[in-house]
Amino acid sequence: MTLQALTANRLLDGDVVFWSGERWVEQFSDAHLYDDPEPAEAALATAKGLPTVLVDPYLIAVTDDGAAPVSFRERIRALGPSDHLELGKQAEGGAAIAAIQHAHGSALSTGRLSLIRRKP
Amino acid sequence: MSLYAYDQIDREMLADRAAEFRGQVARRLSGDISEDQFKPLRLMNGLYLQLHAYMLRVAIPYGALDGRQLRALAAISRDFDKGYGHFTTRTNIQFHWIRLKDAPDILDRLAAVDLHAIQTSGNCIRNVTADPYAGATAEEIDDPRVWSEAIRQWSTFHPEFTYLPRKFKIAVTGSAKDRTAARAHDIGLKLTRNREGQLGFEVMVGGGMGRTPYLGPTIRQFLPARSLLSYLTAILRVYNRLGRRDNIYKARIKILVASTGAEEFARLVEAEWAALDQAPIDLPDLELARIRTAFGVVPFETLPARSDVFEAARAADPALARFARNNLAPHKRSGYAIVNISLKAPGETPGDATAAQMEAVAAVAERYGQDDIRVTHAQNLVLPHVKLDDLPVVFAELQRHGLATPNLDLVTDIIACPGLDYCALANARAIPIAQDIARRFAAPDRAEAIGELKVKISGCINACGHHHAGHIGILGVDKKGEEFYQLSLGGSGAEDASLAAILGPALPADQVAPAVEALVDAYLGLRSDPAERFLDTYRRLGPAPFKEAVYADAHQA
Repeated sequence: MTLQALTANRLLDGDVVFWSGERWVEQFSDAHLYDDPEPAEAALATAKGLPTVLVDPYLIAVTDDGAAPVSFRERIRALGPSDHLELGKQAEGGAAIAAIQHAHGSALSTGRLSLIRRKP
Repeated sequence: MSLYAYDQIDREMLADRAAEFRGQVARRLSGDISEDQFKPLRLMNGLYLQLHAYMLRVAIPYGALDGRQLRALAAISRDFDKGYGHFTTRTNIQFHWIRLKDAPDILDRLAAVDLHAIQTSGNCIRNVTADPYAGATAEEIDDPRVWSEAIRQWSTFHPEFTYLPRKFKIAVTGSAKDRTAARAHDIGLKLTRNREGQLGFEVMVGGGMGRTPYLGPTIRQFLPARSLLSYLTAILRVYNRLGRRDNIYKARIKILVASTGAEEFARLVEAEWAALDQAPIDLPDLELARIRTAFGVVPFETLPARSDVFEAARAADPALARFARNNLAPHKRSGYAIVNISLKAPGETPGDATAAQMEAVAAVAERYGQDDIRVTHAQNLVLPHVKLDDLPVVFAELQRHGLATPNLDLVTDIIACPGLDYCALANARAIPIAQDIARRFAAPDRAEAIGELKVKISGCINACGHHHAGHIGILGVDKKGEEFYQLSLGGSGAEDASLAAILGPALPADQVAPAVEALVDAYLGLRSDPAERFLDTYRRLGPAPFKEAVYADAHQA
């Protein structure tokens, strides 16, 4: 079963946010991880109903240990730019950030689930 | 004073535009308009949503700024961003950490110094690029800024050309030496004179980078200068009518020109042009003279060709001597030089400048550089008019702010797009690759011994890093979710324009800098003499020895 997290950019400032299960949070380590697609899709549907809070909510794949997003792109979103380690979410440091920084291995192209819409 | 002076009409237009955007942002925040409705509006004001935040791309028309404007950009980076900005290959500046709620205030700040974000996005005629040495180089036939400004006025909000099939980029060069990559543009315009001495343009159409790179063929060897705007109108009309709107990947004019053939495309343009009522479109002589006058006159002094102050300082300071060898270009006036400021200090992000650096450049330009600053498509800055006598103090000031890297056009003067560190379109990072290569060649003696070598890196096939035009081009690709990099050799965006050819299989990130080193080592062993550039050696010998240098070990493994 693929673990999933719900992410978006916040409308007001564009910052990357994750759904904790209760509220929108800024660190991936606080994100709720879904191991069941049904509640994940339900959370996504709710997020899509918040156009004055969020831009473009979507589900991402998470590594089996729950430590990091699967895709490189999503890891950079969860960290910040690698030319300014003092900026973005990585500035906070700590074990959770280090785990994302050291995550490696094969990753999905975008990490965005349900990106390909198949014809019915 | 050598910047085009905006008048009341220009200023009212910018103020109106900023006020209009303030209303659009308010309606988006309140939910009166959806993201789908808002997105094209914010893009028309240069506001993108990227990986970590909004990005605001500010237009720097034909790359020209004064100190007041650069200080305003520094203040914006400090007050609304993270204290730095990124100069782009279209001579614009991007701020990568913008909040939507601040964007209207930023547009107001920009408008207060005659700046804006118009024509930095969307399927319109984008900000025109011009030779950064305009008005300073002796090679120049005429000042390309005058014509670029005319194109700006003609194209801004042009109702017929606001919704083209795709974005449209124009470059204007006034010299035989092309510092604009004219042939890689939708339209490249090269100022020239005919046998009778009349001023005109060589018109190149249908160049471009992206996933299908082309060098624009010349469709007219000589267009009388006064007919520029009507001829551009004819080209745009043919494109608007025949350009592909059904497929975004085939929508640029380069695809149209390639599919119709340059000769047939030229015929279509000439027919359109002949049918146009040209007079109301073309610039009246009086208006052209007004634009020329509005640039002001640089108060050059009459100076000897040799400066004892500079010569003594250069003899005493090897660092200044190295800077002078690499970063100065001859000026049309004796006693002056063109100073290139490299934004490529080894280990730094190509094209980035901190607020303090922007303010330092503004201060130097105001005091020693006729208050004139240019941005280059290679993501560097230029002080076009500096007295030789002032070079020692200018160098010291630049050095104090980390702006005196003596590497113009050398292997460490790397073009790199923001890549996957910032950009929502990217497949791979470009900045760390540039940093790796720059660190590897950080020894300035070695970089100088290698000579001119243009390395250009793009984080995706959109090619904002101009990798197709790199002597060594590097393209980031996504291979099963991992960053890989494809090397290409033999490209040039200069007057000897050519497209780079792929060398071989893509490499993982940590093997790119070693591969560049292997290419350079091979070149050093193969060049006929130190004056033969990497590009020339490649053109003479072809890819085989370079392929061998990069992939020989891999084959053995």
